[in-house]
Amino acid sequence: MKWIPKFNSSNSLRVIFVIAIFILLFLSSIAYKHNRDLNESSKLLMHNYEINIQLERLMSAIKDAETGQRGYIITRNSRFLSPYLFSRDKVNTSFIALRKLTADNPKQQQNLQRLFKLIILRFASFENCLKYSEPATYDKRKLDNHMFGGRILMENIRFQVDEMNDIEKKYLQKRLKIYDQETSLGPVFSISLFLAAMTFILLAYRQISKDIVRLKIYNRRLLISSGLMAESEKIGKFSTWQWDLETDKIIYSDNQFRLLGYEPGAFVPTKETFLEFVHADDKAMIEKSMEGIVNHKSLPFVYYKIVRPDHQIRYLKSTGKLLVDRNGSKILLGINFDITDEHLLNIELQERNSELEKSNKELASFNHVASHDLQEPLRKIQTFISRVSDADKAVMSESGKNYISKIEISAKRMRVLIDDLLLFSRTNTTKKEFIKSSLTELFENAQLELNEAIEEKKAVIITTKLPKLHVIPYQIEQLFINLIGNSLKYSQNDIAPKIVIECDKIHSTLYPELLDQSVKKFYKITFSDNGMGFDPQFKETIFILFQRLHSKTEYPGTGIGLAICKKIVDNHKGYIIADSTPNKGSVFTIFLPE
Amino acid sequence: MKLFIKFDINTICSLYLKQKLEEENVNFTTLGFGEIELDENLSIEALETLKKNLSPYGFEVVENQKSVLVQKIKDAIIELVYMEDSNNYKSSVFLAEKLNHSYGYLSNIFSEVTYSSIENFIILQKIERAKQLMLVNEMSLTEIAFLLNYSSVAHLSTQFKNTTGITPSAFQRIIRKRREHLKQN
Amino acid sequence: MQKNALHILLADDDEDDRLFFKDAFEEVKVQTKVEFAFDGMQLMEYLTQPDAKLPDILFLDLNMPKKTGKECLAEIKQNERLKNIIIAIYSTSSSEQDIEDTFVQGANIYIKKPSDFNDLKKIINEVLTVNWHYQTSGLNRDNFLLRL
Repeated sequence: MKWIPKFNSSNSLRVIFVIAIFILLFLSSIAYKHNRDLNESSKLLMHNYEINIQLERLMSAIKDAETGQRGYIITRNSRFLSPYLFSRDKVNTSFIALRKLTADNPKQQQNLQRLFKLIILRFASFENCLKYSEPATYDKRKLDNHMFGGRILMENIRFQVDEMNDIEKKYLQKRLKIYDQETSLGPVFSISLFLAAMTFILLAYRQISKDIVRLKIYNRRLLISSGLMAESEKIGKFSTWQWDLETDKIIYSDNQFRLLGYEPGAFVPTKETFLEFVHADDKAMIEKSMEGIVNHKSLPFVYYKIVRPDHQIRYLKSTGKLLVDRNGSKILLGINFDITDEHLLNIELQERNSELEKSNKELASFNHVASHDLQEPLRKIQTFISRVSDADKAVMSESGKNYISKIEISAKRMRVLIDDLLLFSRTNTTKKEFIKSSLTELFENAQLELNEAIEEKKAVIITTKLPKLHVIPYQIEQLFINLIGNSLKYSQNDIAPKIVIECDKIHSTLYPELLDQSVKKFYKITFSDNGMGFDPQFKETIFILFQRLHSKTEYPGTGIGLAICKKIVDNHKGYIIADSTPNKGSVFTIFLPE
Repeated sequence: MKLFIKFDINTICSLYLKQKLEEENVNFTTLGFGEIELDENLSIEALETLKKNLSPYGFEVVENQKSVLVQKIKDAIIELVYMEDSNNYKSSVFLAEKLNHSYGYLSNIFSEVTYSSIENFIILQKIERAKQLMLVNEMSLTEIAFLLNYSSVAHLSTQFKNTTGITPSAFQRIIRKRREHLKQN
Repeated sequence: MQKNALHILLADDDEDDRLFFKDAFEEVKVQTKVEFAFDGMQLMEYLTQPDAKLPDILFLDLNMPKKTGKECLAEIKQNERLKNIIIAIYSTSSSEQDIEDTFVQGANIYIKKPSDFNDLKKIINEVLTVNWHYQTSGLNRDNFLLRL
């Protein structure tokens, strides 16, 4: 749906975070390894150092022994002998420690073994020196030999110790070199990695903050629109409900509760609750249409009544639609309109309408019957007069004849009046059947109808092609008859009537004050004559029923003819206007919608 | 199903009359439409029987000489109106030549017997023909006006209206509605 | 022109109209025998007698008590024996609706009752003449429409 904003950053954000986490994990694993390496190196250092110390100790113990021995030999004071005596123990402890320390290194063990042998030899030489220095066993040569041999041994021992130290040192150096190699690659790499991770996280942060702003905006809009929705539901008297077909959960909008006569959220709606409100008359229908929505996916408008808890009856109009969202869950969305006011208004309107129709019908039938029934006696009066005038006029007095002729004239006038009235009432009452007809044909019929008068007055009628329109044919024919008849009747005494008919298709904007602007095109048909015309100040009043501009004796007529014209044009949603110049002629213009 | 059948009333009548007379064992020669000559004179009784036997079929023996002439005038007019090239003839000349009497004489006799003029009868027949052309052949008024030698459509329409009291279009409409009305019942 | 008098039947409830009608026929040159029915009911009773002598022309008023002219017309047109009678509507009404309706239902002539006795005579004359032409000159009665 369009109105849900797109937050497509969520996926890229996820990717950014995963990458950042990987970098961090990588960095921490490197740090961990470094740490371990460092630890190991320091251990190694310590190990090295300890070996060193023990070797030094060993050396110093031997040196102590040597010094003590020398002192003893020189002084013969046995006190100098004590370091010599302790040194043996010292050498042994150091040796044991060294053995332990170099347990993992077979080469050093070998060296240690060799050192041990040398030390044993040294101590043996010590013993010999002591022996040969004892005054009792003194042998200068042997002593010198042993002393010298001791000296060489000592050299060897030192050499051995130095070698062992060297080995350790070398080993340490090698280790440190590897370590250095490993760690030297680290800083730039990890800093750049770290910066990369930082960038990613910053990017993500930027996106998040941007989305948050957008979210805030949308959230506010959503709040406004949901507020508006709730408000418009209230004002528009409609409500919505959602029915999740999967979970069978139904949610009513606040106004739905109000429509049913409750406070919002007054109860938890279920499928059955709504039916309880539906008026007994409509229950079956509503039940059926509810099933219908599920099957047909939509619900055409249904009209029904509900009963509120306070027994008030409301009229509702409802529609519904089955929505399937992306996850495939089906939600039934429904809208209810409270049309009670409109319904009641409609009923009232209908009643008034039928009343109006009735009174209209009565009026029409009164009009029709009145003029119709008036005809019968009038016709008899006229017929009887015609019989009298035929047979008995010869024997009548002059005044009697005069009276008879007056009666005849009055009766004739009454006949014209009744005929016109009938015609007028008929333009109102007879069924208005609009048929697409050729106005040209209708005009020809009108001319046929007036044939006698046209020939008698030697009138010239110049006509043009008229359109085909949806009209009530006989009424348009009557309109033409009346208009031409009018021109023939009010012609100038010594001039043969000339009637010109013109037709144009015009845009309604040409006559903004006259024509209905919602209809675009009109046919404008003009009837111009060269008759006596009339004072233009009467150009509107001549269309009013019974309005006459001439005395009855001058021109026969009832003042109904043009009123009929207006009525007919009105029936066709058209317009008629008249204009004239006295003694020059008149122009009648009719506008008929296309 | 609806069929429009065009028929020649003259042929039907002649054939039917011939058949009937043969049934009565009467020998005859046809002289023209509505006129026969019997080969032998019949007795008054036999003639009466013949008249009686023919009357149920719509045949009537016309005895009056004037009536015979009027019937001849009518036949001639019908012939003229239904002729393809009737445009070439002036009716008075046609009738005078055809019946061997002056037009004035014919006109007088016709009015005396029918209380109406030959001109009226011609108009009636032409309008009748126009109706037929309109309904059966579905010809337009323009075509009909030309075929029946009218100066204009308006002239035909006017004469149609004067003769029947209704306009040609109203006539067509009524007949069409009447057929629908009959179909419904 | 006609050996036997033409049989005319008028159905009209108005006494004066029947009188005018009778007088007018008396003054017409054609030999006629005019009879009357006083309303639609009586007319139909008369026509539906099996041995009734059917009129040559039936003049039918539209506005009649008990049974209107239009009802009579419809009944006559549905009756096999009666449907070929020439029917002339004879009415006060000049409503186009009435004229068209009755023509469509099968009337041949529509006469608006004139308000002058001489006009009535002229009309009757014309009806008789045209009718006679239709009876005798091979004209198609289906196309017989006359409005006066």
